[in-house]
Amino acid sequence: MIKKLQEEVKKLLAEKKVNMVIGYARAGDAINAIPYFIANPEECGALIWDKTCIYNLTNYLIDMRNKKVGIIVKGCDVRSVVCLIQENQIKKENVIVIGLQCAGVFDKKGAELGAVGRERAAKCKSCNVHTPPLFDILIEDKEMNQKVLQQEDSYKEIREIENKSPEERFDYWKKELSKCIKCYACRQVCPLCYCPVCVADQTMPQWFSRSLSLEGNFAWNTVRAFHLAGRCIDCGECERVCPMGIPLRKINKKLEKEVKELFGHESGVDAEKKPLFSTFSKDDPEEFIK
Amino acid sequence: MHENIYLPNLCKIEKITDETPDVKTFKLAFLDESVRNNFTYKPGQFVELSVLGEGEAPFCLASSPTRRGFIECSIKKMGKATQAIHDLLEEGDVVGIRGPYGNGFSVEEMKGNDLLFIAGGIGLAPLRSLLNTTLDNRTDFGKITIVNGARTPKDLVYKYEYETWQKAKNTSLHLTVDCADESWSCMVGVVPKALKEIKPCCDNAVAIICGPPIMIKFTLPVLIEMGFRPEDIVTTLERKMQCGFGKCGHCMVGGIYVCKDGPVFNYAQIEKFKEEF
Amino acid sequence: MKIINKSEFLGLMEKWISSPGLIAPVNVAQTFRSADKEKNLIVFKKIETKDEVLADYLNTVKPVKDFFLPPSTVFDYERKDEGYNFNLSEVDGKETIIFGLRPCDAKSITLLDKVFSEDSEYKDSNYAKKREKTVLVGLACTSPDIACFCTSMGISPFSIAGLDALIINFKDSYVINTVTDKGKNLLGSLGKEAGREIDEEIKTLEESVKLKIKKTCNTSKNLESSFESEEYWTKVSNSCLSCGVCTFLCPSCYCFDLSDESAKRIRCWNGCVFLRFALMSSGENPRATKKLRYRHRVFHKFKYFREKFGENLCVGCGRCIRHCPVKIDIAEVVNNA
Repeated sequence: MIKKLQEEVKKLLAEKKVNMVIGYARAGDAINAIPYFIANPEECGALIWDKTCIYNLTNYLIDMRNKKVGIIVKGCDVRSVVCLIQENQIKKENVIVIGLQCAGVFDKKGAELGAVGRERAAKCKSCNVHTPPLFDILIEDKEMNQKVLQQEDSYKEIREIENKSPEERFDYWKKELSKCIKCYACRQVCPLCYCPVCVADQTMPQWFSRSLSLEGNFAWNTVRAFHLAGRCIDCGECERVCPMGIPLRKINKKLEKEVKELFGHESGVDAEKKPLFSTFSKDDPEEFIK
Repeated sequence: MHENIYLPNLCKIEKITDETPDVKTFKLAFLDESVRNNFTYKPGQFVELSVLGEGEAPFCLASSPTRRGFIECSIKKMGKATQAIHDLLEEGDVVGIRGPYGNGFSVEEMKGNDLLFIAGGIGLAPLRSLLNTTLDNRTDFGKITIVNGARTPKDLVYKYEYETWQKAKNTSLHLTVDCADESWSCMVGVVPKALKEIKPCCDNAVAIICGPPIMIKFTLPVLIEMGFRPEDIVTTLERKMQCGFGKCGHCMVGGIYVCKDGPVFNYAQIEKFKEEF
Repeated sequence: MKIINKSEFLGLMEKWISSPGLIAPVNVAQTFRSADKEKNLIVFKKIETKDEVLADYLNTVKPVKDFFLPPSTVFDYERKDEGYNFNLSEVDGKETIIFGLRPCDAKSITLLDKVFSEDSEYKDSNYAKKREKTVLVGLACTSPDIACFCTSMGISPFSIAGLDALIINFKDSYVINTVTDKGKNLLGSLGKEAGREIDEEIKTLEESVKLKIKKTCNTSKNLESSFESEEYWTKVSNSCLSCGVCTFLCPSCYCFDLSDESAKRIRCWNGCVFLRFALMSSGENPRATKKLRYRHRVFHKFKYFREKFGENLCVGCGRCIRHCPVKIDIAEVVNNA
């Protein structure tokens, strides 16, 4: 698979179809993967593809929207490319999507240890995009097609929390969100958090206090989740980068579930469709209007 | 000074003067009598002025330390803190002042020299502090030339001072605007152009320049061409400042804290900064 | 050095919980499902029961600067007559013991001291009060990981810089090295003399731990020559997300924001890696690109601070490398500059 990937990227750069390709390379510690920006065909030999390639590289597309870029994506990652196209942040003509068939990547710890036989990331257990839904070039995994890829219920954990009493839920989230240090790593790594001035950074008017408090942490995390409602594609990067181990995927996934149940909408699947909250239809649920 | 370096001393606003549509000068007096009487500073230093509860921002002291009992800051409406200052404050209100901070002009070293003041818009504020200090000790300094420019006549500040400056001994004041109106009778043109017409002599002279970056960018080569050495051209650098005493890191240019090692620098020093400013 | 039986020492620690108060590393990972057990989250916390204290861990996620320079310090005030009444004292008078910090974190406190308590003209009085009231009892490091490089930063896993006392885990005992008067007052009467043989074994242990640290950082490198290299700084910062994790978890980063909100003045953490850090109200941003910001970060830590205070602003704890979302390695950046 890696040979095919390197060949395709080399061809793209040699034929000058793109200025740059964004992919994965091995870090200096010989264990982790790191984002790799290639401008010359000769540099393709360093490209890698394995279970340590956990990052969602589409985050870098926003800063390169005026260039022609090739991007190496897994099925989960490419859904953010779809969203960015839907939201007019990037033009499809400027992006060549090199999709990888993927049976799952390591969780954060596994990627750091580079260990074989580690568990797959939680998001991989409920994945239904082992083959990317959008691609210009597909790198197939011949072995994957033979594996039995069981898909778990992706909302299992969400239902567990939903079944708790409000007091238990509040308690759980109080404990988790009190850890937040407002480093904004979740926002910076998210491909769909691209506001030039984030609401948390605005000074005129100032919406969020600069002081650290539980209320402020609740406010930040819920506002971010609401701004991503109907858009978040569950790449899981926010939870991976959070230094305090806050289960951010749960918050976003809860809203993902709501959006699915209320509007039948799944984000990042069809590049021709409009984003959910920029349209309305006469059938939209209206129970809250009495 | 306050025991806590992050908290201000309190000042009452004695007078607010409208200088231009977006610049006001605030005359302040410390509430605490001993602070009011003993507060001293150097021209070119600045204070952090806060509208308590709204915001804090750095402003150079436009008043001269030779005149005690009050301080003055000229403030242009630009962001959150200055908007609060312009829109919310009235005479009699209380504000916070932390400072004075910064290195200030080296007044002692300028003694005996001719001084060329070049100001653009509100850049005249720190220069006014130095200018009035020199005029209050007139015999310590040589010839004084003031070149003050603005975009339009309405944008000129400290108009009430011009007569005094014009009348001072061995002192000349030259005004210029980019766009004149019918009432205007002085020079028209940008500051570098005015400077070329005035032809100040560079012998034994120090040039002190303060104004918008674009003015400085085009005035500097004119001064160099006239023979001024970089170490004799002095300016105040602007950067985002918050603490004022060289710790918060916002104003760092390379290894220098503009609030503590500056904001006054000469061009020989600035040329050494690797990081662009 | 003295030596004490582990259970005896832990009994004494239990007493500290109630008086004067103990802060130590605790695993606060809240497990919702048993599969999450591996998600260790080790932070310093005020101890309530002795079972919380960890015996075996690499390092805390948040550094010990958390206590001396908290993420946010709020000074509130209220209107009074003509002026305002400021709530000056944010520090209570109690003594506290911080136990279990590693020598790298302890060293970082000495660096912060240079800025905040040793500057006589602008001393941060709250910081200085807290330093005075806190006893730092460190725990020597015996299993560093691949991101650690303290040995390149002038210290070792058994270093005493910044500590009042150092505890070394030695077989089934603790060896106590009291460094300052505060440390002697707290622990001087404990245990019995270790004796020369044990002293030698400790030295051998220290050397063997030092050998485990493979990562190096060439701090004597002349960074100046690489300053202009746009290509290099673009390359190393290309993947940077400007996210703030490295700055907030760094034990020696101290840049902050000072801002006003209604009835509050707030001093809170901020960092030069953020886009808007140097942004002026005129709209100009002197460090608008990642390349400029990352270069500034490296230069501040490995050049400017050293020129001013004599030491690098880095202790080699490795947190920035461990937690960087894209695994940027600052030691390698310096080495290859």
